[in-house]
Amino acid sequence: MFRQTLCGLLLVAASGAQAADTVKIALTGPFSGGSAPMGTSARDGSKLAIAEINAAGGIQVGAKKMKIEIIERDDEAKNERGALIAQELAAMSDLSGVIGTVNTGVCLAGDKHLQEKGITKIICPAAGSASMTQWANKPDKPGVRDNSIFRFAAYDGIQAAMVVEEAINRKFTKVAVVFDSTNYGVSGRDDMLEQIKKQGNKLTVVAQEKFNIGDKDMTAQLLRAKSAGAEAILIWAIGPELAAVSNGEAKIGMKAPLIGGWTLSMSNYIDNAGKNGNGTLMPQTFIEEAITPKAKSFIDGYHKAYKVDRIPSAVAAAQGYDALYILAAAVKQAGSTDTKKIKEALEDLKEPVKGVIATWSHPYTKWDPADVTTHEAFRREQVVMGMVKDGRVVFGNDADRARLIKSATTVTPAKTSKTKKK
Amino acid sequence: MNAQIIGQMAVSGALMGLVYALIAYGFQLTFATSKSINFGQGELVMISAFFSLTLTNLGFPYWAMVPGGLLFGALMGLVVERAGVRLALEQKSEGWILLSIIIGLFFFSAAENIWGRDDRPFPTPISADPIHILGVDVTRLELSVAVGVFAIMGLIELFKRRTLLGKAFEAVSADRDAAELMGISSTRTVMLSYGLSGSVAALAGILVSPITTVGPTMASALILKAFSVAVVAGLDSGFGVVLVGMFLGALESLASFYLGSGWREAPGLILLILALALRPNGVFGKATIRKV
Repeated sequence: MFRQTLCGLLLVAASGAQAADTVKIALTGPFSGGSAPMGTSARDGSKLAIAEINAAGGIQVGAKKMKIEIIERDDEAKNERGALIAQELAAMSDLSGVIGTVNTGVCLAGDKHLQEKGITKIICPAAGSASMTQWANKPDKPGVRDNSIFRFAAYDGIQAAMVVEEAINRKFTKVAVVFDSTNYGVSGRDDMLEQIKKQGNKLTVVAQEKFNIGDKDMTAQLLRAKSAGAEAILIWAIGPELAAVSNGEAKIGMKAPLIGGWTLSMSNYIDNAGKNGNGTLMPQTFIEEAITPKAKSFIDGYHKAYKVDRIPSAVAAAQGYDALYILAAAVKQAGSTDTKKIKEALEDLKEPVKGVIATWSHPYTKWDPADVTTHEAFRREQVVMGMVKDGRVVFGNDADRARLIKSATTVTPAKTSKTKKK
Repeated sequence: MNAQIIGQMAVSGALMGLVYALIAYGFQLTFATSKSINFGQGELVMISAFFSLTLTNLGFPYWAMVPGGLLFGALMGLVVERAGVRLALEQKSEGWILLSIIIGLFFFSAAENIWGRDDRPFPTPISADPIHILGVDVTRLELSVAVGVFAIMGLIELFKRRTLLGKAFEAVSADRDAAELMGISSTRTVMLSYGLSGSVAALAGILVSPITTVGPTMASALILKAFSVAVVAGLDSGFGVVLVGMFLGALESLASFYLGSGWREAPGLILLILALALRPNGVFGKATIRKV
């Protein structure tokens, strides 16, 4: 008994000593399987930022500079793995924060363990609405009073609005809504249907079709959409199945373009769909095109560090990169590696953080269970429409491109939408 | 329009069904000689597809890649026979069931470690553009499946009927002990059947991969259907598996169109239950008397 306590004390002392010179940040996500392009890109984007910070000596925490130590966990996009990892992370006493998670289901399964312990997490890049609304007020029960879960992704609410808007702008009137049977797909469908209503019912939904993860043959769903006269397919799903839809369209000679969630930019969609993917539209927070010096240095840095000539998911990589810088800014402001103090700093970041997507001034505010956008960093103006063209994602609308170049070259005042009181 | 849709669904379904039939045919080959089945046949399909993909990526042209893949499949079939089946058969035990599953799992893990867990496209010179035949859109890829399936099944059937080795194969299938007495080595014949079965699995992988992509889990759905086809058709009718495979494929795709895609698998499973209840030896199978 005595020996055990002694060992325990020694362990605590040892870990205490370690915690004193590094900032421990966990990076989680699916690094294998169908969601892997997003998971690995987000992780590698964060790692690129970490390498830059560590090369400059680390983060200024109080009086001294501390390097970042990475804890990496592969959740394989499986909810039960995600829950186990979250429990493991929640049990670490000296963890400063967590960045990661691609799959909404994994957020739903795991984040409660982190939230219970008050461990700061920035969800990146899972976009499903449910991962934040689970903490908010609901008709039958009030939300949590204090929340340590933040998000750094263009959440589905914004994306669905853009998808519907794009379909209307392109003068489509009849659309098919297609989705996979996961939490992500179903909540995406709900968001899109709600947006169609909100934007004046200008689109008629002529077919609603779903499929399962792993399905390769979409002929039945597409034929139904085609015979109902769908001019465009509004879609919410993940890479491989999205590719099966595009390839299925080519097979039955259907020309309706896909417009849908940002997952349409995943490499496993673009590669598996090949030329059938051309013309597909999706909201993007970052386009792999060196339109600004900052973007150029990020893209070149990524290509060089990971020996690729195309980022598997440029959006996830850029978000991972910016999220890490935001977390690092919070550590610096808190002057501590204590995750609770970092959370408070995140809710009130004083200095703007220069990222590759935008300059983030005051991205988060104090959590309000009636308004999830307090812990959401993205607003409509940071998101653009991307389009697949010959195996790459390019700007879907030239206006977006011009706007981004302009905003990067002129000094932006504090963002207007943020100053608005909730 | 309606008749056209039914035609379209039935034709695309039936062409996919041929892949089930081909895998089921692989079961039949080994069952004929040894009354055993490789339960890891799906993993053979998958690992051979990955191997063929690697050959393609190394720059081998299509016509060289296909025989390479088939040879690899045959080798893997022999591995299964040597490591899993032979010992169990010698001891007259049913151990091959578990052993073949275990070898399958081993192939699965090996594939995950060598090639990763992602689904990958399988390049092919055959165009995926649709051709319009009698109001139905068919891609050349799908037609290549039909051509490949009929070609290999035809070749193997010819081999069994026309060559000496093939006749030995038939003899062992008919009566193992009598064949042994005639000087035919049943062990070699079983090896041959596993090799052929492996090649058939490899061809199924090569044919289906350009349509479905290659990944460690690519065969898990296929193999269940192939089992259904083999059981419904009977384990000794090569002609039967083709018919049942096409029928099941067409039924599936019509069900997913009319009942909704969630019901896709239902008719096949109902068919399986019916077959097991009404004709346990298969619709085209012969009743066998098992002496105890």
